[in-house]
This record gives sequence, structure tokens and C-alpha cells, in this order.
Amino acid sequence: MAEISFKREIESLTLSEGETFRGEGIIAVTKALLQSGVSYVGGYQGAPVGHLLDVLVEAKDEMTRLGVHVEPCMNEAAAAAMLGASINYPVRGAVTWKSIVGTNVAADALSNLASPGVKGGALIIVGEDYGEGASVIQERTHAFALKSSIWLVDPRPDIANIARLVEKSFELSEASNSPVMLELRIRACHMFGSFQTKANKPASFSAKQRIEAPAEFEYMKLAHPPVTFAQENDKFERRLPAACDFIIENQLNEIRGPATHDLGVIVQGGLFNALNSRLEAAGLSDIHGNSKLPALILNVTHPLAPKQIEAFCAGKKAVLVIEEGQPDYLEQAIGQILRKADLQTRIYGKDVLPMGGEYTQRVIGKGLAAFLRAGGEPNEALETWLSGLERHEKTVREALGAPLPARPPGLCTGCPERPVFSAMKILKNEIGPTHVAADIGCHALATFAPFDQGNSILGYGMSLASAAAVSNLQARKPVSIMGDGGFWHNGLLTGVAGAMFNRNEGVLIVMKNGYTSATGAQDVPSSAPSPDGRGGEADIERTLRGMGVASITRVRTYDIGKMIKTLRSKILSRGKGLEVIIADGECQLARQRRIRPLNAKAVADGRRVVRTRFWVDPETCTGDHSCIRLSGCPSLTLKSSEDPLRKDPVVHVNNDCVGCGVCGEVSHAAQLCPSFAQIDVVQNPSWRDRLKQRIETRIIRWLGGAALT
Amino acid sequence: MNGPVRILIAALGGEGGGVLASWIVDSALACGYVAQRTSVPGVAQRTGSTTYYIEMVRDEGLSPVLALAPTPGEIDLFIATELLEAGRLIQAGFVTPDRTMTIVPQRRVYTITEKIALADGRADSDLILSAVERFSKSRRIADFDALAAKAGSHLNAVLFGVAAQMLGLSADACRRKIEQDGRAVSANLRGFDAGLAYDEAPAPGEETANVAPTGGDFPFAGDFLAGCSAETRVLVRAGLARLADFQSERYALAYLERLARFKTMPGMSAETFGELARHLALRMSSEDVARVAQLKIRDARLARVKAESRARKGDIVHVTEYLKPGLYELFSMLPAPAGRGLLRLAAWAGLEHVSAPLRVRTSGLAGFLQMKTLSGLRRLRPVSLRASEEKAWIDEWLAAVERALRINAAAAHEIVLTAQLIKGYGDTWARGHRNWRLIVDALIAPGLAGRIAPAHLADAILQARLAAQADDRGTRLERLIASLETMSLAPAAQGNVPA
Repeated sequence: MAEISFKREIESLTLSEGETFRGEGIIAVTKALLQSGVSYVGGYQGAPVGHLLDVLVEAKDEMTRLGVHVEPCMNEAAAAAMLGASINYPVRGAVTWKSIVGTNVAADALSNLASPGVKGGALIIVGEDYGEGASVIQERTHAFALKSSIWLVDPRPDIANIARLVEKSFELSEASNSPVMLELRIRACHMFGSFQTKANKPASFSAKQRIEAPAEFEYMKLAHPPVTFAQENDKFERRLPAACDFIIENQLNEIRGPATHDLGVIVQGGLFNALNSRLEAAGLSDIHGNSKLPALILNVTHPLAPKQIEAFCAGKKAVLVIEEGQPDYLEQAIGQILRKADLQTRIYGKDVLPMGGEYTQRVIGKGLAAFLRAGGEPNEALETWLSGLERHEKTVREALGAPLPARPPGLCTGCPERPVFSAMKILKNEIGPTHVAADIGCHALATFAPFDQGNSILGYGMSLASAAAVSNLQARKPVSIMGDGGFWHNGLLTGVAGAMFNRNEGVLIVMKNGYTSATGAQDVPSSAPSPDGRGGEADIERTLRGMGVASITRVRTYDIGKMIKTLRSKILSRGKGLEVIIADGECQLARQRRIRPLNAKAVADGRRVVRTRFWVDPETCTGDHSCIRLSGCPSLTLKSSEDPLRKDPVVHVNNDCVGCGVCGEVSHAAQLCPSFAQIDVVQNPSWRDRLKQRIETRIIRWLGGAALT
Repeated sequence: MNGPVRILIAALGGEGGGVLASWIVDSALACGYVAQRTSVPGVAQRTGSTTYYIEMVRDEGLSPVLALAPTPGEIDLFIATELLEAGRLIQAGFVTPDRTMTIVPQRRVYTITEKIALADGRADSDLILSAVERFSKSRRIADFDALAAKAGSHLNAVLFGVAAQMLGLSADACRRKIEQDGRAVSANLRGFDAGLAYDEAPAPGEETANVAPTGGDFPFAGDFLAGCSAETRVLVRAGLARLADFQSERYALAYLERLARFKTMPGMSAETFGELARHLALRMSSEDVARVAQLKIRDARLARVKAESRARKGDIVHVTEYLKPGLYELFSMLPAPAGRGLLRLAAWAGLEHVSAPLRVRTSGLAGFLQMKTLSGLRRLRPVSLRASEEKAWIDEWLAAVERALRINAAAAHEIVLTAQLIKGYGDTWARGHRNWRLIVDALIAPGLAGRIAPAHLADAILQARLAAQADDRGTRLERLIASLETMSLAPAAQGNVPA
């Protein structure tokens, strides 16, 4: 089960005709899917769209009622392939993932889906992980839409408009027999708003209303020569024009502002709100988006309907194309449309706006100001705002001096993966550096201080594969790190199978924390079975043995001493092929969610419960902080020294401590200092506890010592 | 106000900033606003910085177009759950004197870069506070954390109360939203009311208990202390108390005698003398096994643990120490000859890195007895190997200070401060000595021998000390010393070089 409970969200998914949905953008999309009569939904978790799948997985009752098949897929390729159902059958399906990375993984299936095209509406909801808060490479999904003739919807971020476009996307898909992608930027996914709902629509074919007979054999449905040649032509001779007509007839794109004006703006739907805020600042629009500057809002960014572009630009001296990210696909396409139509409208875009990076209001405002200047309508309000900002920033810089320290994310308090990296750092000090192939997952946070390790990241589950050549070109064996999420996502095949097949030497650490924790603790095949979970207890060790891996050691991650010993022997050994360490330790977030209520109940019921936490002795801590350099636990922090003779802050364990013991283990393993103490609080002590305590206290007192009472 | 009210919240992942944002938005809706909130959580949820953005505008039936991201220079209310987060967004230009009301607790949650420093790497809180003061139109700066603790609630509930007050949201509407939330309702309501009721009372300072030095009275020190500045007096008293406790009153007297020699030396400033008093006391009480054991079975300490443990009445509290004394720590407590012999033997057998990982339950009888026995070793201390080595170091250090005083007061001051490098246990302790030796050989000795111009000496030593504290591999220091060696430092006139 996922990190957060979606009780409220699930209720909002069952709203019927004319009620008001209030909630997050991505949940609104989910509701719209159900209103569109989807037969199946799949995908792979990941911010910012992960909630779509999480909530459907939890909304069992409603899904059963509607007969919707929900499938958390093993990876994005599997999700894309699942859309194959809509090639042969008149069923609507939707899948979701984080882009660009997920789309990269899905690319093969996507090409093979788009070539024959679809009968039932096929919708791909991608979280465009771009700009502030993004955790992936900065590329555009647009490229995939272009190369595979998949239509790309980029809705103006208004919940009602987003819901409308989800439903329209299915119609567009069916009208043009092409899959459709709907891209939502991070903030749009997490935007809270409302819209008027319709009742959920049961699909004509579903898990409840099964399809009678398999589809007829039709070669045109196969992405295989010779029909691939015909399919290519069909994309441009039939599907593309059909899509363009649909876009215009259904007014998927919006035009605002006066019909005639020298200047105009063509903007990606997703950026309109940011643009409008700057138009407001310029006195060229109001809070309701009534722009005085003609604006063509592209809720669909591929394909562009040439007629629509020509009509909008005709009679204008210049238009500004506001298009986030690179390369400037829209600007190129619009330029070509105008050239072909022999329109002399001047195009501004990446010349007044930056090629890369998020288009914040600041960025758009700057570009807009430059455009208006160039267009002969300089805007004083905007210019004043911009120059004011620069002045202010200068003053602030002078006041605060050097940039303040950043705060990148880190491993949680008590994280079972931290001790592995502590062990690696301690070992590095002993035997020197080793090539570390890092991967995607919480463990990627070990690339930050205090661990600062990892030589490469090549994608989710790719660490071992990325070390293949290195292991054969370097004196010392490389260490590859992989989470159980990445292991099942594809690391098992691309990594392990490859290493075995090629007899590569190397050390693989599989972080077995039981979930894909970075995306919100979703289950993986090796998760422990639970009433509301999907874990099947597929065993990683047995799987590896089955693939012929001989050297596998399971180590409890918190046992740093053993982890160091195991790592040392595996890194330094030779001729053993692939050696695996299964770093075993349940995600602490998940664990705490599980045991906190149980413990609380036990204490309330008067049962004996021992609560453990750690503590640093401020009298023996000399403020060198090497423990923090080896652990980095959030609950291991600083406190000004109480000793007037000592200036450096001492280490302090705050009350978030979950008593995992890593700091103590580290102080032992690295032989740090005698300042760490474990505090065990025996709640509801037994009579034995109390008796022992009383006797010992008595004697200690008698020996002139202090005692805890 | 025309246009929407724009609210920016800066928080750390997992701190309830999202809940705070939802409370504000839901209450605003109830108060006749159209409101929208967005965020960029992602993995930032894992303890990193994250922001939430809200726009709210009076509901006029038509659906407004609200921005999803904050615009620098257009924030009406800025709430930070932590001081540095506030500082960074001020640095990003979001807080402007023409319109921004700021709510910020004084609490600091230190970033990893601040925490891993070898000495004190904390950002300057006062600088950030002054920036909040200067760049906000109005501000609520207080120890809201303490307020929350007092109310037995989370910080976000208190901040909600303060925000409701500043936004003029109906308190009842806010309370209703907390109730509808259904999570920790009573605690959140207490927090909310505490925040709502908050008026700019002078806020208590950052939580750092500044206990006065336990300066037991030392009659023999009376006249000496009388001649010291107030600051120095605090240090010397603390030093005397520490050393009397560490060994004996006679030992404390020895400290005083050493200090007395320097007090009157020409060129000795009050500041330098204060630092000397500080470091001499610390060096004379270096944490050997006996000292550690002594501290572990203190009344005060166990009381402190008890308080820290948040145990309820009737609970039993156990304390288990993680100790790992190496052979050096143990053998060095023996009389010098014996200790040296055994260490040589161990080295010969290749056992010098052997150490004994111990988990000692000092709250129990067995553990208490172990510690009691170890602390008893302090009787052997005066003749121990460790003591003789510490004494040798201190004498060398003081001699260098004394000679430097005759050449250049600033250099003497810097030499005093090099004692900062000697601290900790095991590797840390060894590293400190290694670095200090490097600095002595490369700078202090040549400097005192006149091969480095006095004018340069102080700065060179300062640079070296900072370099030694820049990383724990000694890389920066080695680089610096190498560069200093290539640098041609003009030799001083032979005249003022002491013999």
C-alpha cells in the first residue's frame, strides 16, 4: 500500500452528475478517466503522477463496480504495451508515468502502438518532470509525440479544463485512430481546484462485460512489414488531417483577446496562467484572463492545425511563441506553416526567451517585455517591475552576502540504506576509492553530502549494466547499487542477466527495503504480502540463484560491522564473477507507519514495551562531528555547547530519533568517540524489571554512585 | 486589495507544510474566497526544502485564472517553518518591503553542510533575522516552536493561527476546517489558538542552555581572578573547576601557576590571555579513559538522560554506552615505562589497531562497577604515559607562544588558537596532532627562527588552522603548506630573532 491513504480522494472519485469535485489535479484526471468509460488503467509510479495509480489501486470497490482493470505495471514499457488492447478492440485505456524517463523506457512499445494505431481511445498521461522540483534529465516529451505521431495535449491548468481535455483526448484518439499523450507539469498535478462532475461511465467492455471473441486476424494491426509502410503513410494521409479537423471542430485550443491587433501570443496551454499573471501586471489582462493581447492557447501542442495558426497570425505584425524547454519544436513548426502560407508575420520566441529552463512568471515577464518593445508597444509597468526586481536583488545580495547553504533531500531518519553508505565510506577510508555505479531511488540521495559517492547514473535499474565495461577495464571491481524497485523495474535483466551472460566481475548491492520508497512506498513483487498490498513475496535471493549467481550474502543493513566485512571481501576478491549483497532492511517510513500504532496500543493495554532512542553526551562530545560525516541522519544534529570553555557546537540527537542505532554502530565501526549512548525506556515494566532495578539502585547508591530512579 | 492575495510557504519535506497550505485554502474558501494551492514536493519530501504556493481572491462567481508559481516581488504573505528556508527565499527576491508580511520561527534545522563542518559551520542566524526585519513589510518572528511545544501541538498549527490572524480569516471557519480534517484535532486546535492569540511579545532566544561555569570557589585564585577581565574570569573559573574535578585542587593550582607566568608577559592582550586560559584548561583535562568513565556515572548526567528520555512515571530507564577504547587509550593510562613497553609490544605484534567494542549499561550494577573501576585510574594519571605526553605537548605549545610574544603578538595569538586542532578521540585525536605537527614544522618553528617575516606569520598560521579544519583528510592543509613553501616569505631582520 502506498505512503499516504487516499480515503478522501476515493470518495471524490465516486461523485455523480453535477456534484463538485474538490481536489488535486492528478486526481481530477483520474475522475475524468472514469467519466470517460475507461476499460483498463495501468502505469508505473513516480512523481508527479504516481497518485493516479495509487488512488485507483486503493479504490477497489468502485473499480470492481465499473469493471475497470487496474494494473501497476512492472515498468513503463509494460504499461505502454498494455495499450495494445486498444489496437484490436473498441476499449478505452489509459496509462501513466513520469516523463521524460518513463517515456524513454516505453519508447519501443509506443512506436509499435502508434504505427498500427488504435481502435479504442488510448491515452497516456505523463507527468512532465521539468523545472523546479524536477528529479530527472531535462528533456521534452514532445520529441516522442513528433517521431511516433502521437498527439500531445498540454492543457491550460484549470481543473475543469483539464477534465474536459481528458474526455476529449479519448474522442480525439478514436477520431484519428492515434494514441494521445496528455502532459501535466508538476505544479498542475499538485494544483488543488474544483470542477462539476459527471457520473462515472461503465465501459461497454470491461472485466464485468468481457469481450466474447478474440479479434479477427488483421495484418494491418501488426507493426510488422510489409504493413508498416502503409501505416506510415496512413499516419500522414488520414490520421493527421482527421486530428487537425477534430481539434478545430471541438475548439480544443482557445483564442482570447481582440480579433484584430498588430501583436499576438501563441502559448502552450500549460503556461497560460503564468502568462496571464504577467499580462495582468502589464495591464493587458485581468484576473479572469480577458487578455487585451490576442492569445492562442494551445491545449494541443501536436499536431498544430495549420489553418488555425494561419488564421491567428494573418494580419499580425508579430507573434510571440511561448514554449517551454528545448529544442523549439513549436517555433519551428509555426515558422514553417507561416512560410508555406507566405505570411509575413514576424516570429519571436527563443530569441527573447531562454532556450532551456522553467518558464516562471519572471522569465515570461522578461520575454514578454522584450517582445512588446520589439513590437513597438513597450510596456512601462513590466519594465518597472523588472528593473525593480533587479534593484531589490542587488540590495539583498549586499545584505546577505554569500549564498546561504542549500538543503537537498536526504535519507530519512532511521533509513535502512544509510548504514550501507556509512559502511562504504568507512571502507573507502580503509582500502581507498572504488568505482560506484549509482542508480535511481532513495539511495541516489547518497550522492549528496555526507556520502558524496557515485560515479554514474544511467537510469532506473541500470547501475549494474552501466558498470559492465568499467568492470572489465579497471583494476578494482566496481560496486553497483540497485534498489529492489530498480531490480524488478529492469535491473534483473539488463543488469544481472547481462553480467552473468558476459561473466562480468563486480559487486551488486540490492537494497531490499520492500517498496519503491522514493515514489511513495508502492509494493514490488518482493514486498511482504499484506491484506491491502500486492506483495507476492517473490524472493530476490532465490531469483538470483535461479539465474546462476553463486555468491550472495544477505546482510542486515544496520549491522555496519558485518556490512564492512562483507563489502571488503567481495570488493577485493577476484575470479568470483558477479557477487551480490542483499542489503536487508525495511523502509523506516513504512515500518514506523506499521509499528507506531501497534506500540501505542500495547502501551495503552499495559503491556511491556521498550522504547529505544539514542543520545549524545554533551560532556564528552568535543565537537568534531565526524559521526555526522559518517551518518548524516536528520535526527543527528547540532547544539551550542553549554561548556564556556568549548566554542564548537556539540552533536545532539533530537526527538525524531527512532532508535535504529546506526549512530552508535558507526561510532563503534569507525572507533569514533565514547559519546553515544542508547536510552531504553521500559514502559509498563514487569515486576522482575522493577525488582532488579530496585536492588541494583540500592547497591549503586551504597557504593556512592548515582542511579536512575 | 485588488488582485489575488498571494501566499508563499517554505518548509522542509515531511513538516506538514502541505497541511498548513490546505488549512489556509479550505478556510479561505469558507470565507468567501476562490483559492488555489500548488506545490512541488517530489523527493523533496525526504527532508529537503520545498515550497507551497497559494493564490486567493474574493469569489465573484466567475472562475479566476490563478498562477501556479510565486512571482518575486508579488508575495503578500510569506510563511517559513524554519529560519534558513526564510533566508534562502529572501535571497531569491520573494520578500519585498512594499508588501510582504513574514511569519518565521527562530528555529534552525541545520543543513548537512552546516553539520559536517569540523568546527562550527552554522549559518549566521542573526544575519538572516536582520534580513527578515529589513525586507518584510511587517513580520512575526518568534520561537513558535516553543509555543507549539507549550500547546502540545505541531508547529504548523501555530503558524496557521498566526497566518489566520494576519489574513483576517474567521477563526471559527479555521477551527471548523481543523475539525473536518479529523486528524489530531484537539492538539491542532490548541496550536491554532496559541498562534491566533500570539501578539508580538518579546520572543525567547534560540534554545541553547548557557549554564554558568560551575566555578566552585578557589580561595587561592582570588587575587589572580581579581586582575582578570570579566570574560577571562568566567573562563579561568570554569578551567579551575574543570581541573579540580578532573584531578585535584593541586592540579588546578598548577593551571593557575602556568597562567600566572603568561598574564604579565609583554605583548599579552586580554583576548589572547582569555583564549590561552580556555585552551590550557581543555588541554590539561584531555578526555582519557578515566575522565570518560568519571563523566559517565555522574548524578547530573544520569538526571539529564532521564529528562531526555521523556519517560513517564513508573517507566524504567536504561542507559547503554557505546565505547570502543583502543590499545593506546588503555595502555597510555599505565605508568609511562610500562605503557610504552606494552604499546611497543603491540606494535611489534601488529596489534596497534586492536580495540574493544563495548556496550556498557551504566545504569546497571555491572556497568557501574566497570566505569567506577576505570575512573579509579585517575589516581595513576599523574605518572601515566598519557599525562607525560600531554604535558610534553602543552610545554611545547606554551614555549612557542612565549617566544612568539617576543616577536609578534598577533602570531602568538594564532599559536594559542592552534590548540583548537587537538580534540576528540581515536582518529580525530590523531589527525589533530598530525595537523598540528605539520603546522609547527612548516610555519611556527621557521617563523620563530626568523625565516618567516613576523608580519606574515600570524596570517600564515591562521590560514593553516582554517585549512586543517576544512576537511578531515588533511588535503587542504597539505596543499596550503606546499603553496606557502613555494611562496617567498621575506626573512626577517636577524636582529629580533630570539636565541
